[in-house]
Amino acid sequence: MRTRDLTGDSTQVVRVPTTERPRVNQKTKMKVRDLEVWYGEKQALHGVSMDVAENEVTALIGPSGCGKSTFLRCLNRMNDLIPDVRIKGEVEFENQNIYAPEVDVVELRSHIGMVFQKPNPFPKSIYDNIAYAPKILGQVRKRTDMEDLVEHSLKRAGLWEEVKDRLQMPGLSLSGGQQQRLCIARAIAVSPSVLLMDEPCSALDPVATATVEQLIDELKENYTIVIVTHNLQQAARVAGYTAFFHLGNIVEYSDTDSLFTHPREKKTEDYITGRYG
Amino acid sequence: MSQGITLSPSRQLKKRYRAEKRFKAYCIGALVLAMAFLVLFFTDMIRQGYSAFVQTEIEVEVTYNEDTVKFTNESVREEVSPLISRAFYRTIPRRVDANPELMGTTETRWLTATAHVDQYRKGYSDRLDPELKATLDRLDSEGRVSYGFNSGLFFSGDSKIPSNAGLWSAFVGSFYVMIVVLLVSFPIGVATAIYLEEFAPDNRFTQGIEININNLAAVPSILFGLLGLAIFINFFGVPRSSALAGGLTLSLMTLPVIIISTRAALKAVPQNIRQGAQAVGASRWQAIRDHVLPLSLPGILTGTIIGIAQAMGETAPLLLIGMIAYIPDAPTSMTEAATVLPAQIFTWSGMPEGAYVSLTAAGILVLLSLLITLNATAVILRNRFERRW
Repeated sequence: MRTRDLTGDSTQVVRVPTTERPRVNQKTKMKVRDLEVWYGEKQALHGVSMDVAENEVTALIGPSGCGKSTFLRCLNRMNDLIPDVRIKGEVEFENQNIYAPEVDVVELRSHIGMVFQKPNPFPKSIYDNIAYAPKILGQVRKRTDMEDLVEHSLKRAGLWEEVKDRLQMPGLSLSGGQQQRLCIARAIAVSPSVLLMDEPCSALDPVATATVEQLIDELKENYTIVIVTHNLQQAARVAGYTAFFHLGNIVEYSDTDSLFTHPREKKTEDYITGRYG
Repeated sequence: MSQGITLSPSRQLKKRYRAEKRFKAYCIGALVLAMAFLVLFFTDMIRQGYSAFVQTEIEVEVTYNEDTVKFTNESVREEVSPLISRAFYRTIPRRVDANPELMGTTETRWLTATAHVDQYRKGYSDRLDPELKATLDRLDSEGRVSYGFNSGLFFSGDSKIPSNAGLWSAFVGSFYVMIVVLLVSFPIGVATAIYLEEFAPDNRFTQGIEININNLAAVPSILFGLLGLAIFINFFGVPRSSALAGGLTLSLMTLPVIIISTRAALKAVPQNIRQGAQAVGASRWQAIRDHVLPLSLPGILTGTIIGIAQAMGETAPLLLIGMIAYIPDAPTSMTEAATVLPAQIFTWSGMPEGAYVSLTAAGILVLLSLLITLNATAVILRNRFERRW
């Protein structure tokens, strides 16, 4: 078992204002406080605060350029890879601020996995796509253990039956929907506790989308999921909580049902009814 | 009812078509002209060079005894003796030393004729002594004169006797130089490119470096020769004319080519491969080593081969570090005086004897086929392994 240097109990129940904390009595997995992001001179996020509930799906919606993807990428510090980016504020995960200097991003990202908009399997075999990360992180050393892990991950991602006879085929030979599920399997192979998904279905057809959505629904039992989506129906279908972003701020954050049926803000209503785009 | 719409081309449209045809004709004309030059060049080279691949040989009796070991040209009958290349006579004492049982015997051998005889038979010159002509014609009618494959062209070094001159020492020199170029410029070039492309921050300083590297690729090669002379030979004391000095100097020229092509190959790998790897907890270097480099390897190798091919054809910088030299025996180490293929061609092209004209053309053909092979390898490599995104 690997050592978790980000350990700590997240059992405390926090009560915070509505924009940060939609509903009580649910454990908080990540706490974001006053997050500000600049790309060069341009400010993309203006002091966003938000709590992410454990073992739930939280959807981030909003028009293009509203900062939802930026926000998502701050949660596992993927924004660090962009030159000229400046980030202020705190993101608390396992009782540690992930932007604290002693936090190692490589370690962090093995706890907070990510699935991208466009399926991006490694140009390697299906097997190696899954086995790569556990291998370099030193989580699995024995060959039989690795085979078990690959099988388990693919089963969790609902892909095992389709690929079990061709694990040595290149990951890129799969269809788009299968590739995306492969990427999900790859992300959960290192057993993270949070999964970030950046419009995971935008490159998929409706059938593949339905499969992935079903998968997300199953995964929330074990993982905390934050998903960015342009598809409002998708947010309504998969998410327990939804945050509406606009111009680098959270306009409204509540449980999905209330947000879609009784939005408190005029802007939210305009957006979800399609009067605003 | 269509309101007077005609579907036949209007006058204006016809004019446009004519302009199009004209433009196409210009382009085809340019292509034909370019191809014509190329064909002309190749036919001329082949016409001049092909004859150097064969050489006139004469069947004679060679006698080995006390006298002929001392006066070697007496080993062959007097009237035939001037027809045979001096290169053979020189080997007689050595042959007898190696095989003492030859002493006192006579053997029949096919021997390489002199360049004069060769040129005369090939119809390039008529300046052969009439007496020798008569002898040659008599031997010819006896079937004792023929053409043989000029293996010396490939397997002997340079020589002042044209019929004995070959490319071997230049081959060996070129090989050593290429090894040095590869060992020096490949690791340095690839490492530099990886740093600039994957790690370096984008600021004034790195932009300056980038511009300078691009400029380096355009610097006239003779200047690299001066640089090599000043730095490697005068400052570091690398032996003059050596393959090491030549290789180091040419590395300076190959470096920018490798850096630029490696960067292009790295840039072609989509960003989401890097992000995907880092999102599962790979470090930056692991993402590069395990995913980016394998994907860009075909591009890097293609660029390297093209850079090496360029270095292989380069002559100007080698002028300044003394590699345009007369090297009859192939070097056996990196620090011995050496010459390379293009330098050998350059040397031969300046020789007064007519036989060197064919040798020069033959040398060009050999060099060109080597370079075409290298470049074809690069193209095949790229087509087979390059992945498009």
